[in-house]
Amino acid sequence: MSVTSAAPRLTVVTGEATPAKIWRKRALSVLAHALLIVASIVMLYPLLWMLSASFRPENEIFTSTSLWPSEWSIESYFRGWTGLRIGFGTFFLNSLIISVLCIIGNLATCSLAAFAFARLEFWGRPFWFAMMLGTLMLPYQVTLIPQYVLFHNLNWVNTFLPLVVPKYLAADAFFIFLMVQFFRGIPKELDEAAQMDGCSPWRIYWKILLPLSTPVLATAAIFTFIWTWDDFFGPLIYLSDIRTYTVQLGLRTFVDSSAESDWGGLFAMSILTLVPVFVFFLFFQRLLIEGIATTGMKR
Amino acid sequence: MTARSYSGISATERAVPFVSWWSRMWSRNAPGYLFLLPWFLGFFGLTLGPILTSLYLSFTDFDLLTPPEWTGAANYVRIFTADPKFAQSMRVTLSFVLFSVPLKLAFALGVALLLNRGMRGLPIYRAVFYLPSLLGASVAIAVLWRQLFAGDGVVNEFLLMFGIEGPSWISNPRFSLWTLIALAIWQFGSPMIIFLAGLRQIPTDMYEAASLDGASKWRMFWKITLPLLTPVIFFNAIIQTIEGFKSFTPAFIISGGTGNPINSTLFYTLYLYQEAFSFFRMGYASALAWILLIIVALFTGFSFLTSKYWVHYDN
Repeated sequence: MSVTSAAPRLTVVTGEATPAKIWRKRALSVLAHALLIVASIVMLYPLLWMLSASFRPENEIFTSTSLWPSEWSIESYFRGWTGLRIGFGTFFLNSLIISVLCIIGNLATCSLAAFAFARLEFWGRPFWFAMMLGTLMLPYQVTLIPQYVLFHNLNWVNTFLPLVVPKYLAADAFFIFLMVQFFRGIPKELDEAAQMDGCSPWRIYWKILLPLSTPVLATAAIFTFIWTWDDFFGPLIYLSDIRTYTVQLGLRTFVDSSAESDWGGLFAMSILTLVPVFVFFLFFQRLLIEGIATTGMKR
Repeated sequence: MTARSYSGISATERAVPFVSWWSRMWSRNAPGYLFLLPWFLGFFGLTLGPILTSLYLSFTDFDLLTPPEWTGAANYVRIFTADPKFAQSMRVTLSFVLFSVPLKLAFALGVALLLNRGMRGLPIYRAVFYLPSLLGASVAIAVLWRQLFAGDGVVNEFLLMFGIEGPSWISNPRFSLWTLIALAIWQFGSPMIIFLAGLRQIPTDMYEAASLDGASKWRMFWKITLPLLTPVIFFNAIIQTIEGFKSFTPAFIISGGTGNPINSTLFYTLYLYQEAFSFFRMGYASALAWILLIIVALFTGFSFLTSKYWVHYDN
């Protein structure tokens, strides 16, 4: 099932198409487009407003609801970049390191678990699968404090380890679920044939299933990136040394320290933190939308 | 050929009659458990273990530095009898969920229905509506929202054009929660995508048959579209409700971590964070976490129980 293909048109066959009916249909279509265009403007306006505000000269930011600055200035970006004791470059680098490490961990361990759930038979599989699905609905607060105590005792606070290590233990059940769904769609005959030829489960996983699964792996990688990049709560509790801050923490510090005096810098840095996510959205929109769409569908 | 798994029982093994039960169990189960090894470590070490530990901690006084001290049900007694902030944060979170989830789903379904009519430009509209829900969780958007609804913010600039002098939405306790609800509704994109996928799975011949029988569009919506979409509505409602209970960043950024004005945006998660990481009352915060777990579990259980009365399944 391809989610992006155009919707099947409803061919309603109620008698002949009289001119009146055709006009009515056109009017309805124009009305629908008008509605959608207005809605689109409302949806995008806040983002565009912030974008334009980041390019305004400092004295003009609040005075206008228009989206076009009277004169363009990138001064806010320079001021914002160095507005804190540590430059935003450090925060971007930290966020990038954490995101990349999380992507590797999620892809490696979630696909292992998903392969076991989708393709291997072993005692207790339905039970463990149910447990895995159960963790999807678990509010994270209930594991938060013991996890914090654990990482605190391991002396991992103020390092990236508490944010990264869980991804190497397949802690993101959502991606296991997503991959299980995808693996189930790959014909089982493929691995059965390989098994007859004496292929071990590992080889089947590595040589057959993974190469066929690049779409779901890419989807998982992109979502991991976006969610790690946007994560605020994890860094908030585990990182308190400004040199370890992620972009989200840097932005929050900016809000606290200079929001009232330097809105321009704050908006400029806000826009910069959104850029990576927006770029991924632009280039991989189809994968993201299909990934979201399949979560609600049963096979 | 019937579906055979990697039971690992090769022909040669089967031929040896005295191969022990243990080695058979091993070869049958080992691959599965080996593949699941990282997940098992995570499940026991980071999920199940911590759940049980936090249950234990919820009956103690614990400040992270000295060992936990058993206090029986004291935390729970205080929460339910002498903690106005608990009651307030529960009220705030429940109102947030109760208003934001239905409104968000209504927008998502409405737009999905509009888009599903085979519109030209569908990919563009869909992208525009989806973008906010992708960006929405970040601090930048919370910062933006804070500005939009400030006393001298853009929303009031617009209202001024119509001669209306708007209040400072975020610092007025009557409206502050509503700005957060508006932010949640603005992110209706991801349930919309799921609705679109669900609509596409409804067979078109059902509509054709109905229209041959002279059914109106309105009737078709109530008798075909809505019933067949109930599984997707159910799924979206559960996911969005759980998300709603977990929401943290917007309230934290917009209120500067306080939940003010007069605790009107004190989300349950925010209160729990304050107790645990501002005051280091880890035992008390664990009790709060367990109450949240029970509420979410009750809610989910209740939804699943009632679902058989309103969710339509094929078989």
